[in-house]
Amino acid sequence: MSTYTETQLDALRELANIGSGQAAAALSTMLGHPVDISVPTAAALPLAEAVAVAGNPDEARHGILVPIVGEFEAAVVLLVPEPDAVQLCSVYNLDPSGEDGASFLGEIGNILGTSYINVLAEMSGLDMEPAPPQVVHDMLGAILASVLLASGEDTDTALLLDSALTVEGKPCSLSFLLIPVGGGVHELLGRIGVV
Amino acid sequence: MEGELPARMGEWVVGTEAGTVLSCIGLGSCIGLALLDRRAKVAGLAHVMLPESPGGITPQPGKFADLAVPALVAELQRQGAMKHRLEAVLVGGAQMFALGRGSGQDIGARNEVAVRAQLDRLRIPVRAAATGGGKGRSMRVTVPDGEVVFREAAGRPITLLDPSADTLRMAA
Repeated sequence: MSTYTETQLDALRELANIGSGQAAAALSTMLGHPVDISVPTAAALPLAEAVAVAGNPDEARHGILVPIVGEFEAAVVLLVPEPDAVQLCSVYNLDPSGEDGASFLGEIGNILGTSYINVLAEMSGLDMEPAPPQVVHDMLGAILASVLLASGEDTDTALLLDSALTVEGKPCSLSFLLIPVGGGVHELLGRIGVV
Repeated sequence: MEGELPARMGEWVVGTEAGTVLSCIGLGSCIGLALLDRRAKVAGLAHVMLPESPGGITPQPGKFADLAVPALVAELQRQGAMKHRLEAVLVGGAQMFALGRGSGQDIGARNEVAVRAQLDRLRIPVRAAATGGGKGRSMRVTVPDGEVVFREAAGRPITLLDPSADTLRMAA
């Protein structure tokens, strides 16, 4: 079971802060609307609790998964509630439950994930790149549990870096999670000098 | 919901009191395994996450099919169930994403195989199942009748095991 010190969690929170700042800027350019980010949280939680903190496991979400591959492996997951997805897609007159809407949501995942991990790659010197996004519309619990179980050898603890993005002018928000796979986090922390 | 006893990931719950509803909410690649002794009016529900325990000391046996199934059977026996009367209903084991490398692929299908292997070994029949596919599911088991209902994301509730009619439905 992996554990993290407060110092390590602080460092991860700071990385998440910079990463999600870049991601918000990229999304803002794509949408033509200002995008705000919340102060990110970083938490190492037992899997069952990691699912619970994200919300009611029964609630429907549009889920966008961007697998990160390379020297640092992770999953970037965006969780967008239905009304927020409608708002987001309305920027381009799309319906989130249609094929074009899903593709648009995937593109948002791609842009957010790519800009986020570019920051991590620059700061750590580790090679990492995004795989194509996968978009689902399903129960929050099912989405998160599937990602957590498929991505981690560590089945006890999930490290979640969570930022909420808010798009101005289009009242909507989405959660942005970076879920590192296995031991890569300690390598990442080592590279930025936090042991 | 009043009287609802949720089994979170890696946990199991057992109900003997009439009106109790056991639930697994938001099953993706996990398997919700209901075990029922309808005569003794005892029901158990496990939320199984992974096919096989890594070996050694495992603090949470409910996570792994190879440990969770025999452990839940033992617990039900302590609560008055007879092993030869137990019936199983399986829900979940979806593959929502193409993710993971090697053995990480399609954890949902491997979970189902592992749970069924344990049930075979213990000679417990599977009376109904709603497994596989790409959609998340929730399931609810009502004590003491053993009615089992599941629902897919954005779908209607579907009865898998209806004790009043004693009809069984095999869902895709």
